[in-house]
Amino acid sequence: MPGRAAAERIRKAIALVNAVADGAGDEDLTPTEIAEAIRDCLELSEIEQGSNVRKYLGEALDAVSDGMPADFVAMTLYAALGALGESRSGS
Amino acid sequence: MKSAEGRGRTLDEAVDVALIELGESRRNVDVRVISESPGETVVEVTVIDHSVAPVIGTAAPANGKAETARSVVEGLLKHMGVRAQVTVRTAADPITIDISGRDLGALIGWRGETLRALQSVTNVMLGKQLAEGERVIVDVERYRQRREHTVREIALRAARQVKMTGDAITLDAMQAFERRAIHLALQDDPDVGSSSIGEEPDRRVVVGPRKPETS
Repeated sequence: MPGRAAAERIRKAIALVNAVADGAGDEDLTPTEIAEAIRDCLELSEIEQGSNVRKYLGEALDAVSDGMPADFVAMTLYAALGALGESRSGS
Repeated sequence: MKSAEGRGRTLDEAVDVALIELGESRRNVDVRVISESPGETVVEVTVIDHSVAPVIGTAAPANGKAETARSVVEGLLKHMGVRAQVTVRTAADPITIDISGRDLGALIGWRGETLRALQSVTNVMLGKQLAEGERVIVDVERYRQRREHTVREIALRAARQVKMTGDAITLDAMQAFERRAIHLALQDDPDVGSSSIGEEPDRRVVVGPRKPETS
């Protein structure tokens, strides 16, 4: 199904950010790892250039680089996931 | 708070005995294992007090932040077109906002995803009003609380099995707050410990015999 791989990668990035926010206390995540997970999403060709999904992922990456709170990054990634769902239901 | 002691050959049996005495269902109680031996398990089962939530619209007197958080969540739900009651869970640390109403499944979403997103948005909106590291928890129909209770029970059951067999058990993949609940449930157990393996979102807790400390 188109977009499935993208959804899985975005969910992985969200899980990483939530793990930081929720503080399970059983892993040491660095911003670099979160940024890598978001870059993995951006590398997918199924995410169209100029789409809202790409825009939100870019914003999430900037937020990680700028040291924004985990909840802010998570919110932006959820927006990307939502935009992906919209693009899938619209196509 | 109502509680009862239960005894049985297994954890389930002990909990059931206490539940019958209390006349409660499993989803409404918290379970604490008092003692465990090969022949008998003793538990203390405490009824979760659902009546402590304050009436909607009244500010939590001691905590203005909690009331602000409640207003934020209420506003978000209004924009989403969701009709629900929003209350502050008293005596909860961190601040916990409870949403209750009818047909709120969509607000929880797949594996709690929508609920988690709502919590993220709430925390971002509260932003500078929260101290560094302080967070607001958003719960819908006590979904999160029930999940924590469920995974805690899974942890206790796994711990019991580990004590009997000596073999480690790998649990299903869980979210960070669920893994945290398991680590907390087992942290005081002298014989059984927990750790996590794998990568998000397939990170799993391993419950195994506690290794003797090397000095």
